[in-house]
Amino acid sequence: MIATLGRFSLWLALAITVYGAFVSILGARRRQPAMIESGQGAVVSVFGLSTFAILLMEAGLVGHDFSLQYVARNASLDTPLFYTIIALWGALEGSILLWVWLLALMTLLTVMLERKRQRELIPYATAVLLCISAFFLLLVAFPANPFTTMFPAPPDGRGPNPLLQNHPLMAVHPPGLYAGYVGWSIPYAFGIAALITGRLGEGWIRTVRRWSIVSWVFLTVGIIVGGRWSYEVLGWGGYWAWDPVENASLLPWLTGTAFLHSIMIQERRKMLKFWNVALIIITFALTIFGTFLTRSGILSSVHAFSDSAVGPLFLVFIGLILLTSFSLLVYRSDKLQAEGDIDSLVSRESAFLMNNLLLLGFAFAVLLGTLFPLLSEAVRGVKVSVGEPFFNAVNVPIGLGLIFLMAIGPLIAWRHASLESLRRTFTMPLCLTIPGAGICWFLGVRGVYPLLAFALSLFAAITVIQEFVSGAMTRRRKTGEGYVTALSKLTSRGRRRYGGLIVHLGVALVVVGITASSVFKLEQEVTLKKGESFQLGRYQVRFDELSAWQEPHRFVVQGSFTVFNSNHKVAEMRPAKRFYPSEQQPIGTVDVRSTAREDLYLVLSSFAQDGTTATVKALVRPLMMWIWFGGWVMVLGSLIAIWPDRRRALAADQVEERMAWQPGRS
Amino acid sequence: MATWKKLSLLLSIIPLLLLLAYGFKTNPREVPSPLVGRQAPAFALSMFDGSSNSLEALRGKVVVLNFWASWCFPACYEEAPHLEAAWQTYRDRGVMVIGVDIQDRDTEAKAFIERLKLSFPNGPDPQGKISIDYGIYGVPETFFIRKDGTIHYKHVGALDAKMLKAKIEEML
Amino acid sequence: MVATLGYLIVGGIREAAVYYITPTELKEKGPATTDRAFRLGGMVVNGTRRWDPQTLKLTFRLSDGKEQVAVEYVGSPPDLFKEGSGAIVEGKYVNSLFHADTIMAKHSEEYRPPEKGQASAKDHYRTLVKPPATQP
Repeated sequence: MIATLGRFSLWLALAITVYGAFVSILGARRRQPAMIESGQGAVVSVFGLSTFAILLMEAGLVGHDFSLQYVARNASLDTPLFYTIIALWGALEGSILLWVWLLALMTLLTVMLERKRQRELIPYATAVLLCISAFFLLLVAFPANPFTTMFPAPPDGRGPNPLLQNHPLMAVHPPGLYAGYVGWSIPYAFGIAALITGRLGEGWIRTVRRWSIVSWVFLTVGIIVGGRWSYEVLGWGGYWAWDPVENASLLPWLTGTAFLHSIMIQERRKMLKFWNVALIIITFALTIFGTFLTRSGILSSVHAFSDSAVGPLFLVFIGLILLTSFSLLVYRSDKLQAEGDIDSLVSRESAFLMNNLLLLGFAFAVLLGTLFPLLSEAVRGVKVSVGEPFFNAVNVPIGLGLIFLMAIGPLIAWRHASLESLRRTFTMPLCLTIPGAGICWFLGVRGVYPLLAFALSLFAAITVIQEFVSGAMTRRRKTGEGYVTALSKLTSRGRRRYGGLIVHLGVALVVVGITASSVFKLEQEVTLKKGESFQLGRYQVRFDELSAWQEPHRFVVQGSFTVFNSNHKVAEMRPAKRFYPSEQQPIGTVDVRSTAREDLYLVLSSFAQDGTTATVKALVRPLMMWIWFGGWVMVLGSLIAIWPDRRRALAADQVEERMAWQPGRS
Repeated sequence: MATWKKLSLLLSIIPLLLLLAYGFKTNPREVPSPLVGRQAPAFALSMFDGSSNSLEALRGKVVVLNFWASWCFPACYEEAPHLEAAWQTYRDRGVMVIGVDIQDRDTEAKAFIERLKLSFPNGPDPQGKISIDYGIYGVPETFFIRKDGTIHYKHVGALDAKMLKAKIEEML
Repeated sequence: MVATLGYLIVGGIREAAVYYITPTELKEKGPATTDRAFRLGGMVVNGTRRWDPQTLKLTFRLSDGKEQVAVEYVGSPPDLFKEGSGAIVEGKYVNSLFHADTIMAKHSEEYRPPEKGQASAKDHYRTLVKPPATQP
């Protein structure tokens, strides 16, 4: 029953998306509001149907309906409820269904929020979004149908992959990441609509600004949570391995960041128009590419779900997207001429342009490194793998350049920054940074790259603080407010600017965390008898005992360790190994003790069956928490930047109204 | 924008797509199985229905040797109907389908056979000797053995109808 | 700037690209292989896996059906790593011994494998719950 209903709702949704796309475009061309509204009605129906499909799937999962093949493969009678529910996105078919639903939701929100303000663009944007939905619905309706049945139904299921049941973050990482990916469809749709209608002024840019930041935030959260999951579940002490699928999530983040910054230039000086359209096309294409890499099996990875029919379809879709979008772009290239020029190398425009180039270069390097094995095999027949050394060698210098730009960009003057203005702005930060770098040297940092990383991050952080302080002090002089009031009013009146500065501060924190945790990392693996201890960094770790017990869906072996710091007990840590009866390999659970200063990370590598000895791998990673904390700061800053400002919105709406009346312009 | 720039932008997309398409042909996770091409290890099985089978007795026939277990959800359940169908189609053409039940209990195994209405011979491997000889790493695994007793192909994971038919046809 | 980027990338690839190789190919190359990193794939030969918990040295031989290569790794064996199954190691080949920095054991999502000739993993480790009968 579930299967029939589910299949039917997906096919119906597919038919409606195709209808909706057609009727929206026709309605726009013939200026028939009724048709456009019908298209918008289609959006509502698709959302309703996909919600229904998701609910059906969850009913099947939670109800243990093993006649559904997806449930038989991803759920079992023993699996706890929480992990059964999130098994929805544990495998290919379910995750594409999630994508369909998220896209339907966002399309609906777009239509609801923008249809009055963007009358010209909305029908085309709706059509584009419906076409994208049609592709994903096509996938779930046919090759990747989650409602496939099997007969006879087995009495139990396999259960989720143990890696997916080991940590609650699995509830956050995939949906967050998908929300980020899917979110970029919206700016893309408006970009295409702008290209089709020829309305390539600032109207579409203003509309997509918030959507872009929202997508960017989701993507950022998805990536950072993924790193955290990797750190806490995979047990290798790291959080980023330059795995092809990890890279695939980083690529749209990089180009999306470039887009976010680049549109500011278009808003202010009507330049970089071509760049912006190109960037959003590339970003969107990369989101689809990311999903393609995960699902097609063309590159081996921790993540790869392999499936044969889905891959080629994705490839065709990507091809279509790239060819049609870039053809449109080229067709409209005369309307995308800049209305201004870069006056000087030392200017904000120039910094932003450099920013675009560096981010794109970074993305290109990551893409090349990811695809190189494929390239090598295709061209030379030689099987090669490209790992961390490559990515670090190329990306670290680029990253350092980016941090530098991040520091100076918001402060440097438009058009041309005079020597005087440079001196005024940057003298103080420089004066603080150089001693800061000196302190790092004394603390033992010797490599050029790490020193630069610390110095530039410090520089960036100081410039941000300087902006807040000088802004607040200026307010105080005018209004006589207290410090706190001045700061909050300052931020509130300038949300875009100050929110953005906070994001930069977050980035600086993340970079410091990344650098410190790798430069000062300590690692040791040792076998201990009961009662024996070893020393790592400031800690002595003593092995106390091994215990084991049965849980409903797994068997756990846990090592108990007491940790001392200069003979003073600081923690009891319990890394474990969990054995899932339906899988051969146990999944390790690491235990991490995090402080602002460093993380102590213990992994139970192996143990003797009689419990007398245990092999433990220990790592000390300084400033690891700064990475996660910095991520939160980035999110906070973004939220501030997009928080609606009622007074501003009113004024902006009035401007829009006036402009909408002017023929031809947008 | 100059025409050559426009064209080159569009054309540059094509090599990328071709490269990705090439990716479908490669299988990045291959590690060689040493048994393919060699003589299949001999075995003797007592079936659940009381009869017995051995590899020498089957010389001259194509053998599909399938390793399964009742606790192997859902893959063994997925492929069993296909194996049964292949048995019905090919039994008169000199093809033998044999199931080896490993790491299992007889009651559950018989329930599995009953539930899936399997008519081809199935037997247990109580000491695990056959699975060790064949290097079984997990279930399900299926070996396709030619008439002369050499191993033609080893399939890991659930078989679909298409693959099963193709491999049998290759040996006939 | 594009040139700098290009230089970085090309240099990076040349340094960092790691070649896949089989035991037969490795033996053929002989001494020419000393300084490069390789990924060696093969089956772990039965009876060759040895692990010393005190020194954390794991030694075994990898075979592709024709040639065998001796491998040494420092660290505890990954959970999936068994004799008779596939593995890929990454490292350098010096003096007829492959020093592995990483081991990647073969993994597939389709499997529900038992321990060879034993009860399932669950039962194998269940013995830790009860202390061994022969306590001194």
